[in-house]
Amino acid sequence: MAYDKSALSLAVSARGVDKSFGRIKVLDDLTVDIPRGVTYCLLGPNGSGKTTFIRAIVGMLKLDGGDLRVLDQPVSEVQSIYSRIGYMTQHKALYPDLTLQENLEFFAGLYSIEKQEREPRITKLLDMVNLLEHRHRLAGDLSGGMYQRLSLACTLIHEPELLLLDEPTVGVDPRLRQTFWNYFDRLTAEGKTVLITTHLMDEAEKCKTVGYMRAGRMTAVGSPDEIKRLAGLKPHLELWLKEPEKDAARLKDAGYEIDEVDIAKGVVRIRLQSHDQIKGLLENVAPLDMRLKEPTLEEAFLRLSEAA
Amino acid sequence: MTGMNLKVNVDLRRIGVVALRVIRQLKRDRRTIGLITFAPIVLMILFGYALSGDMSGVTLGLVDGGGHDVLKAHLGGIKDFNILYLGSESDAEKLVSQGRLNGAVVLEPDEVRVLLDATSIQISNTILAAAQSGAREEMAKLLENLPGQQSQGSKSGDMSGDMNLIVTRYLFGYDLEMMDTVGPAILGLVVFFFTFINASISFIRERSQGTLEKFMVSPLSRVEMVSGYVLGFSLFTLLQSTTTLLVVTYGFGVPMRGNPLTALVVVLLLGAGALVLGSFFSNFARSEFQVVQFIPLIITPQIVLCGVWWPLQSVPEFIRPISYILPLTYAGDALRAVMLKGAGVTDILYPDLFALGVFFLVFFLAATLMLRREVG
Repeated sequence: MAYDKSALSLAVSARGVDKSFGRIKVLDDLTVDIPRGVTYCLLGPNGSGKTTFIRAIVGMLKLDGGDLRVLDQPVSEVQSIYSRIGYMTQHKALYPDLTLQENLEFFAGLYSIEKQEREPRITKLLDMVNLLEHRHRLAGDLSGGMYQRLSLACTLIHEPELLLLDEPTVGVDPRLRQTFWNYFDRLTAEGKTVLITTHLMDEAEKCKTVGYMRAGRMTAVGSPDEIKRLAGLKPHLELWLKEPEKDAARLKDAGYEIDEVDIAKGVVRIRLQSHDQIKGLLENVAPLDMRLKEPTLEEAFLRLSEAA
Repeated sequence: MTGMNLKVNVDLRRIGVVALRVIRQLKRDRRTIGLITFAPIVLMILFGYALSGDMSGVTLGLVDGGGHDVLKAHLGGIKDFNILYLGSESDAEKLVSQGRLNGAVVLEPDEVRVLLDATSIQISNTILAAAQSGAREEMAKLLENLPGQQSQGSKSGDMSGDMNLIVTRYLFGYDLEMMDTVGPAILGLVVFFFTFINASISFIRERSQGTLEKFMVSPLSRVEMVSGYVLGFSLFTLLQSTTTLLVVTYGFGVPMRGNPLTALVVVLLLGAGALVLGSFFSNFARSEFQVVQFIPLIITPQIVLCGVWWPLQSVPEFIRPISYILPLTYAGDALRAVMLKGAGVTDILYPDLFALGVFFLVFFLAATLMLRREVG
């Protein structure tokens, strides 16, 4: 089979990948390129095929059709590069009856990491996930979020080139979540690839590239800004006015697109074509207060999935 | 396809990593460790005492129609029997039918009749055996007192000395009790049972907590994983069998005529077989709860058919092939040979160790093949 030459620099490249469980099509002609050295976010509602795609990448699914390459290897030979892949499932995949240290030692052992190399790595990772002081506690005694963090540390122990993280920040508080993202940035700066699934929009906002999955297909791909543009979303301006009805009519005459007039609250919503329109606005009305609302990724995806 | 071909690379260090982890986990499981010490004691009491076949409290009616003094004395002397003297055979019949007597012996000058309630075979056999041995005793007495026989005594060829023609020579175990004969089998049973259950639950957990999936996406091969388990559990088996052996020999006085190390070899091989069997069967269970449901299917047949509590000869021939594929049959045989007869490794090599080895290999392969990477 001939491959696209450009695919050689990709971490993951899928071409028309199909997978059904019974009569349900989980991956439907899925085509996506995941470049190396980026944090790539697979976003989509539950059941959209994110986890299935990740499992296909690690060779745990027999595909019905299509072509899938992982770190330049056809997926049928992916087991030869398992030492270069880090895989964190939604199950935490830890031993609750072992201590944090023992869990990490075990996973380090699976990847044949030498003892002198192992200890500094364990310390570094436990520090990163903020669990250093709990090192000798049993993993089973940890809280949900701590358990999640340990699971991430175990996935990173062999410093994989391609990191596949299935909903890694579930139950992790926002501050620590930021720590994770900073760490991912460090990894991508080293040329490593991080593929993350999430159904949280705010998380996806932080990714360089977001792929929006729906019903086993990739419906939109791009940076968060590109996707918003693609969805045709514009910023909104909310104005608090003394005479909303009159003012709204005046603005309409001046060429502004009125979205909504709430007489009871005295609020007029305007859809802006560009941020420059704000300046001219004050020549027409004297608002008591105003608020600019940028479109969210969520709105963008809602729009996109409505269109699809 | 990737799921079907076995990764053949075997790295001893990775096996060691898995084994170390298994040991660390078992070490923390205090309850299991306590249980393996306690279980053999309970089983010894259960199977050794309760199933020893000794009876007490058998109520026997006796209708004395004259004569048979020796037989009468014999029956009266059996302390397990409560004798009730009755006036007539019909009384005895009535009481036996009502279930108030377990049986009755009717003595008449020229005949002895034994009335039995065979709904409990063990009890009626005991009564029959007692009556027969009493009758033999009486016969022997009679012969002794016959004039003209004195000089010839119990010489062979003597028609009337039939009873004395049967000479019993115990080659092994003349001094053994039920307890001693079941002791070795209990050693095997305890190890098999706990290893099977622990191994299947461990594998179920690997699956449910997601670590199995993680293994599948790591350099660890399936052969390495199962081997690591075998190695780790072997240490546990060793601990378990040593404890059981001590309980059985010192606590219950079961002899150890052979080398204890030979017994441990048998038990280790049996434990390895139980482990891979557990690993194999864990694929058919979705929860720990379902593993427990395997007990009647996997464990009970071994107890019934292994030939320890009920001899293989008593197993109907069409079921006997099953006995011959059960590992406990061979382990029980080998352990009895080592402990009670003092057999060495070479004596039990074939068929016992051979069969245990084949059993292990077959299920090692099956367990490894069942650990599939791909789904769907």
